[in-house]
Amino acid sequence: MKKILAIVLALVMLFALAACGATQDDANTDSANANTDTENAGADTEEAGDALKFGFIYLHDQNSTYDRNFMEAAKAACEKLGVEYVEKVPIPEGNECYEAAIDLVNQGCDIIFADSFGHEEFLLQAAEEHPEVEFCHATGTMAHTEKLANFHNAFASIYEGRYLAGIAAGMKLNEMIENGEFKPEEAKIGYVGAYTYAEVISGYTSFFLGARSVCKTATMEVQFTGSWYDETAEKNAAETLINRGCKLISQHADSMGAPTACEDAGVPDVSYNGSTLEACPNTFIVSSRINWEPYFEYVIGCVKEGKAIDTDWTGTISTGSVVLTEVNEKAAAEGTVEAIAEAQAKLVSGELHVFDTSTFTVEGKELTSYLADVDTDDAFTPDTEVIKDGYFAESEFRSAPYFDVAIDGIERLNAMF
Amino acid sequence: MVKSPTEKKVREPLFHIVKRDAIPWWKAWLIRIAAVLIALVVVAVITLVMTGQDPIEMYKAMFDGAVGNSTRTWNLLQDTALLLIVGLAVTPAFKMRFWNIGAQGQILVGCLATTFCMRTFTGKVPTAVLFILMIAFALIAGAVWALIPGIFKAYLNTNETLFTLMMNYIALNLVAFFCFRWSKNSGNDVIGIINRSSKTGWMPDIAGNKFLLNIIIVAVITVAAFVYLKYSKHGYEISVVGESENTARYIGINVKHVIIRTVLISGALCGLAGFLLVSGVHHTLTTDVEGGRGFTAIIVSWMAHFNPFYMILTSFLIVFLEKGAIQVASAKNLQLDDNFSDIVVGIIILFIIGCEFFINYRIKFKSKDKAEEARE
Amino acid sequence: MEKAPAIELKNITKTFGRIVANHNVNLKVNRGEIMAILGENGSGKTTLMNMISGIYFPDSGHIFIDGKEVVIASPKDSYKYGIGMIHQHFKLVDVLSAAENIVLGLHGKYNIKEASREVARIASLYGFEIDPAKKIYEMSVSEKQTVEIIKVLYRGADILILDEPTAVLTPQETAKLFAVLRRMKEDGKAIVIITHKLHEVLSISDRVAVLRKGEYICTLETKDATEASLTEAMVGKKVALDIDRADPVDPEDRLIVKDLDCINREGAKVLDDVSFTARSGEILGIAGIAGSGQRELLEAIAGLQHVESGEITYKDPKTGKAENLRDKTPMQIRQLGVRLSFVPEDRLGMGLVGSMDIIDNMMLRSYRKGKSAFLQRKEPRDLANEIIKSLEVVTPSATTPVRRLSGGNVQKVLVGREIAATPTVLMAAYPVRGLDINSSYMIYNLLNQQKERGVAVIFVGEDLDVLIDLCDRILVIGSGHVTGVVDARTTTKEEIGLLMTKSVAHGEGGELNG
Repeated sequence: MKKILAIVLALVMLFALAACGATQDDANTDSANANTDTENAGADTEEAGDALKFGFIYLHDQNSTYDRNFMEAAKAACEKLGVEYVEKVPIPEGNECYEAAIDLVNQGCDIIFADSFGHEEFLLQAAEEHPEVEFCHATGTMAHTEKLANFHNAFASIYEGRYLAGIAAGMKLNEMIENGEFKPEEAKIGYVGAYTYAEVISGYTSFFLGARSVCKTATMEVQFTGSWYDETAEKNAAETLINRGCKLISQHADSMGAPTACEDAGVPDVSYNGSTLEACPNTFIVSSRINWEPYFEYVIGCVKEGKAIDTDWTGTISTGSVVLTEVNEKAAAEGTVEAIAEAQAKLVSGELHVFDTSTFTVEGKELTSYLADVDTDDAFTPDTEVIKDGYFAESEFRSAPYFDVAIDGIERLNAMF
Repeated sequence: MVKSPTEKKVREPLFHIVKRDAIPWWKAWLIRIAAVLIALVVVAVITLVMTGQDPIEMYKAMFDGAVGNSTRTWNLLQDTALLLIVGLAVTPAFKMRFWNIGAQGQILVGCLATTFCMRTFTGKVPTAVLFILMIAFALIAGAVWALIPGIFKAYLNTNETLFTLMMNYIALNLVAFFCFRWSKNSGNDVIGIINRSSKTGWMPDIAGNKFLLNIIIVAVITVAAFVYLKYSKHGYEISVVGESENTARYIGINVKHVIIRTVLISGALCGLAGFLLVSGVHHTLTTDVEGGRGFTAIIVSWMAHFNPFYMILTSFLIVFLEKGAIQVASAKNLQLDDNFSDIVVGIIILFIIGCEFFINYRIKFKSKDKAEEARE
Repeated sequence: MEKAPAIELKNITKTFGRIVANHNVNLKVNRGEIMAILGENGSGKTTLMNMISGIYFPDSGHIFIDGKEVVIASPKDSYKYGIGMIHQHFKLVDVLSAAENIVLGLHGKYNIKEASREVARIASLYGFEIDPAKKIYEMSVSEKQTVEIIKVLYRGADILILDEPTAVLTPQETAKLFAVLRRMKEDGKAIVIITHKLHEVLSISDRVAVLRKGEYICTLETKDATEASLTEAMVGKKVALDIDRADPVDPEDRLIVKDLDCINREGAKVLDDVSFTARSGEILGIAGIAGSGQRELLEAIAGLQHVESGEITYKDPKTGKAENLRDKTPMQIRQLGVRLSFVPEDRLGMGLVGSMDIIDNMMLRSYRKGKSAFLQRKEPRDLANEIIKSLEVVTPSATTPVRRLSGGNVQKVLVGREIAATPTVLMAAYPVRGLDINSSYMIYNLLNQQKERGVAVIFVGEDLDVLIDLCDRILVIGSGHVTGVVDARTTTKEEIGLLMTKSVAHGEGGELNG
């Protein structure tokens, strides 16, 4: 009897709490509305351009360099254009993403953006249910096949940035050869990759091609970690590569593991996602990264003007989406800045293509035709011819990379991931 | 008794701690409510002092995050149910004093088994059969994952805490392996939503509500678990073994048998939770699909003194706080990140667990006359 | 300093709840003297010593060290006054060496080399054999004891208290220990040794203080004492208890135990060639110093203790068929139709489940009844209510957890349940321990009723008065041996007392007295 009473009491308490919660919540919305008076008025007149609300879904908090890159761009773009924004963090790549998206819709967001590959389908699910809201997703691959008017993918031709960073790496190798540190045929680059995923393959291949465009004898070894963020694994991988005689390291994974290993060993490092100069003053050369600000500004602009957002938007050097950090003069070879600028101009003008098929071979032969898996399916069926005009047309058929060719000169040390 | 002069010199401690006999239930609840209130005040002070943010705004954000609108409320209820079922799963083992901290692994293999069925049998068997397969595979997977440490405990008396913990890592890496093997785009670790267009193997909506079925299933299991623990012979044996193995032997209970049977039930329920997570909620498999429930459920179970009905309350409370914390971290009017909101949740739970001490013990302060004597 | 009392206790009283552990105890120990404290289990020896060493604080009374009154509120105070206690259970860190254990917890510089030297000095002074660098886990029991003793000497103790130091030692090790103690005595230390072994008292001590049921009885000069006089002081004069005792009606053999050997978890022989017969309509008492094998004997019969060799046979009262009970589990014994009830010594740890209510505890033995997967609580509820009523159990209700009941009421619930199973053999281990007079008498009456019903009752007791007045025959065991079976109607406490200590004295006394 007592137990029943206890349960009843507990329930009463709970409901009281809940009721209390509901009323307080009303108060909260009131105060929130009061805080953003102008925007509220705008919302009443329904999707009037000047009262936009942008919702962001991030996989991790600001401690992840990957997510921080998005957060900073979001803040800059929204503040610049006077758009209110809401952030949801940390949202795993599961149903939580769908829940977060719905919650953002309920909060009145007009555009919702998610930053991680695994978010895509959950975001898509929300997009299907809410055609009145625009959904944008970075790194995804499904927008062009799903053909939803309100679902969009975006990426940037980061392979161009990697290519430019590769030039800096090649020049560094040349400098070291000239200084007699090692023989030309020993110019081996080490690369720490996350997965054997097209985005990674495209990244290290373009980096390698950039380096080889300057240092003809360069070769590369790639070590995969099987994780996008695993500091220990990335550090170990970098150390393995250094021990195998790699003279320069670069990485495509999100922790400080590889740069730290390089600084400890005194091996030059070309970084990614932002400068690691502070932690690695002696070995950091340069870093490429995607600047998402132009994309966010573009999306906001489209919605404001009532224009359709591109299904697949690929940022380039020209849009300001692909950027390099300042070159660290202390570690970089002389003339690096100039060489990069020169190559950059050629890339922008179209004179130079990163994946120019005359610059690399596959199993000893030049690539003349290649079917890539552009349209996602479970069997990974190649479906689209991507070689045209003598180059591999990366990021032209969809924004996310699909270059997954194993070219000569690059050796994968482990391929289980 | 005549007090001797020496006794005045005795340094008696300021208070001692005395175990309470029994405490009226209303008094116990009064202590618990007081604990929550004190926790709220403490958190408010800490918030104000450490971050300078308005604690009232923070609590508002918490309620907003948990029950701010009907979707949030439904999410809250569903997550409560999903935490509750894991709590129910670990309870028989804990009641038996089998320290099963391997719920995480047992749930994960349940998720893995469900995913395997959805990927393998979709389109090959009728949906009803698919569901039977999914549930059966999940139950068996979870049960086997618990059975292995169970057998070692029963026959070799190995330490089940370490064993189940290690099984978690194995399960986690198995899932990571299959996430890679089954990934949507070759070379990545994202499986993506399974049967997104056909929704085959997805738990059906009830009256257009996709949360309801999960909640109903867990509600039924809650009642069943209560009946099992309280009214069945098995439940009775679990209580006896948990209280005293000597008593169990004395009345002729086969302790090994009970241990194995109970961990099987415990593991199978975890497997079922895995099924609900994949088929009812996520429709995909990732390494964090389990969402820490395996460990949080231990708190749920202990805070509720292993009573399934009280567990409704404790799991609700924890999910409420977690949901609130997310909102606190992302609320624009508060400059607080999710680390701070985790601190807030931690403090509140600490107070609620800590108050059990005051329910079980009484603090007896130095009696007045003795204190006066000491001053002389 | 000649014969100045090193430590003196005056009117020390200590109670635990309703139990009086020490009542007005007076004691005086001189320097250069070995004082033995003699008493049965539960006579308050250890409690008394714990008060001297600061573990307990007396309710009233005074303690004097070298004639000055002191307050010992903590073990630290006790060290300060030079008191060192060697506990029955050693308090050493296994993975550390002897020397490390000795300096552990001391203030000042941690210097193992110096400590080792000092340890060697103490050892040679008193004739210890010790290797300061040896790890504790590599040591035998007697070596560990040596470390404990040196530890307190190292800390400057000159009043040593040893709590049953010989309980864990072989006769040879005991002889060595006594030699060391004698040297310490010559060195002017005051030594207190707690024991219940008479021959040791006679061989080592100068004076002996006797405690009985918490009361201080007397102090004797050892040279004037004999085993008989010490036994008498220890067990006291016969007190008539006024328990009705009927003569057994048509006793027949019910339980026959033959040549039983048991080994405990540590590998020590706890039962050695035990043989006896329990008859129907009779109460067979089992007397002995606690820990002499009583528990193992009953648990072996109940199927809870592994038997090395020997036979346990049950004679069915109806068919007369003999059933072998050895190597059977409690469940198998039940399935044979043997109605064996057992009131174990550990009531809440074995006989009952403390957190369950009275009703659920009633079900412990019977919950399996019926084919249903669910419990049938009606019968147990009726039984609980009946026992509460007939045995006057004081409880708020039948749904109160038994842990919340007082000791007497817990025992009523347990005995009531075991009797309700209408046993043919009823075993009860210390069923009145900790009970007040009224509850005790209720238990005696219940046992007598069972006897009159023709049940073979086995009663393990510690109070000799009760054993003599309640039982028909008394089996005395000492260190796992049967040392005698006496007729309760004609025996005396002295006779039982001597039998209880007999086997221990056997064969050892000669060496030690030398």
